[in-house]
Amino acid sequence: MDLTMFMQQMVNGFSLGSMYALIAIGYTMVYGVLRLINFAHGDIMMVGGFLGYFGIAILGLPFGAAVLLAIVGSAILGMASDFIAYRPLRSAPKISLLITAIGVSFFLENAFNVFFGGVPRAFPVPAYLEEIVDIMGLTMPVSAIIVPIITAFLLAAILWVLFKTKYGMAIRALAFDVGTVNLMGIDANRIITLVFGMGSALAAVGGIFWAVNYPSVEPMMGVLVGLKAFAAAVVGGIGSVGGAVLGGLIIGFTEVVVIAFFPELGGYKDAFAFIFLILILLFKPTGILGIDFEKSRF
Amino acid sequence: MRKLALLATSVALLASSSFAKDVSVGVAMSMSGPLAAYGQTAYEGIEFANSLQPKLKNGDTIKLVLIDTKGDKVESANAATRLISSDKVVGILGELTSTNTAQVMAIAEKKQIPVISPVATNDKLTEQKEFANRVCFTDSFQGAVVANYATKDLKLKTAVVVVDQAQVYSLGLAKAFTDAFTKAGGKVIKEIKVSSGDKDFKAVVSQIKAANPDMLFLPMYHPEVSMIARQAKQIGLVKPMFSGDGVANQTFIDLGGDAVEGYMFTDFFDYAAPPTQRSKDFIAAYAQKTGKQEVNSFVALGADAYNVMIDAMNRCANPEDSVCVNKEIKATANFEGVSGVINMDKTGNSTRSAVIKVVQNGKAVYKATVNP
Repeated sequence: MDLTMFMQQMVNGFSLGSMYALIAIGYTMVYGVLRLINFAHGDIMMVGGFLGYFGIAILGLPFGAAVLLAIVGSAILGMASDFIAYRPLRSAPKISLLITAIGVSFFLENAFNVFFGGVPRAFPVPAYLEEIVDIMGLTMPVSAIIVPIITAFLLAAILWVLFKTKYGMAIRALAFDVGTVNLMGIDANRIITLVFGMGSALAAVGGIFWAVNYPSVEPMMGVLVGLKAFAAAVVGGIGSVGGAVLGGLIIGFTEVVVIAFFPELGGYKDAFAFIFLILILLFKPTGILGIDFEKSRF
Repeated sequence: MRKLALLATSVALLASSSFAKDVSVGVAMSMSGPLAAYGQTAYEGIEFANSLQPKLKNGDTIKLVLIDTKGDKVESANAATRLISSDKVVGILGELTSTNTAQVMAIAEKKQIPVISPVATNDKLTEQKEFANRVCFTDSFQGAVVANYATKDLKLKTAVVVVDQAQVYSLGLAKAFTDAFTKAGGKVIKEIKVSSGDKDFKAVVSQIKAANPDMLFLPMYHPEVSMIARQAKQIGLVKPMFSGDGVANQTFIDLGGDAVEGYMFTDFFDYAAPPTQRSKDFIAAYAQKTGKQEVNSFVALGADAYNVMIDAMNRCANPEDSVCVNKEIKATANFEGVSGVINMDKTGNSTRSAVIKVVQNGKAVYKATVNP
């Protein structure tokens, strides 16, 4: 393996890992405030991809407007799922919440299956994103460069909200202790809704990126991605935003490295993502950047 | 006298209604899930063939009972069990992918219900099975067709094969191709394994680019192949690419976009070169109903699975005698089908020709016919 090839594979890993990272952030934030693994998160990503598709292919919107539609639509859907499915269960045992999340996930998959059919639809990618650039012998589409840049930008924005704004402080406080937060006059439900909205908006961006890179949308597209992003969140340390990004990159690189160095094991690359998950759970259950949940948050 | 006439008519009515009844034929296909495009096209063919020939010779009406397998192994097995035990079908049409068809065939075998798969090509499917049949060719034939065409007509010497290790179809076809390609003087320089459901093949195509083969053989289904073609184009990997019938679908071209221009694959049938009178009639009737000339090969094969089943039922004294129907399916000789002339043998395999197609301007275009 020469250097160019190695660098090419690193670019591939970075681009894939960034997408996992975007989706993992949603898992991590919801877990942080509710201790809920929102299994419907991957399907929100799917809805984001579909909204982008509808925006471009049916409404004829320009790409940017379709992305905006997907972000707003998914954020509303995320908040609505909290309002309808999770809020009534705030005081119920955590296991009920988890089961409800799986129910929401199945509902979204099957609803899309019924209304739009299971046949994958080609996603109309704008030509400028598919243009091939050549940087020092590395060939890649423009999207492979844009995806990590936007991920970094969104990560910075999320961290800024969390640590520099009043709402961020409320989210962090909420993650610490719901009961006390309520006593302090903060409407916990409103903050939780905000977290769902932010996470879902990021998932929509991830869904659009996914649809741009692998230009198709279909109702089950969020299942495996969702599981891997969840693995990424746990590997990085669930509850930590930086950890989610780190975990996403680790999973993305692992997949690429497995294929690049052990092509005969390529078919098992998904297994490697989950082997990481198992090892982490065995040896450092809080994840790489994980924190003791009784002491601090995010 | 009038009373007598009335009695006679009512007896006749009674008699005919007790004779002409509904006979159920099961259909187990993926109508949803990632392989929904296959099920929806094949079922379209079955339904259309049913509308052309809804009755048996003895006046019984064929009732199609469709169960969606969602493209899943377990669901396929469940579908077969349900069709046999609760819908009491005489025979089953389906499934479409080899993995799922194996499930259907294993269950039908125990209950002695004949199965005809329209397009499942894995060699092993019909081995040591009494009630397993298909109207398509096998992978060893289609693998050899690609290998010979590539080495003799296109003079290609080296190949990289990408295998979907989660699908028996892919494993079988890859092996058939590799054997035939080596025998014809070619060399497979690398085999890369992937899994269905994957979307990211950037690492795979980077590998192939480094290996620099004359051609790529991708014996997989269209969702994965279209992604590989796109990502190959993105890194400037432009080589002749081949697949089997797994990509014989417009969805493949829709998903692949201009990255699949020039893509070649084997198929069963081409509407532009109708092989029999029956195909001409079918295409004309299809055009009249749907307004389009292009009959997809899965539509044709679906129709033929139905036609062969009905033909065999007509040749049995009791069309609901599954054992007899199965025997007659295997005795099908020189049957003029929509997709070509079909000859079934004792193993349940059919001998038939293959066509090679190439994607040009977003359409699959006929290139050559290869006879066995």
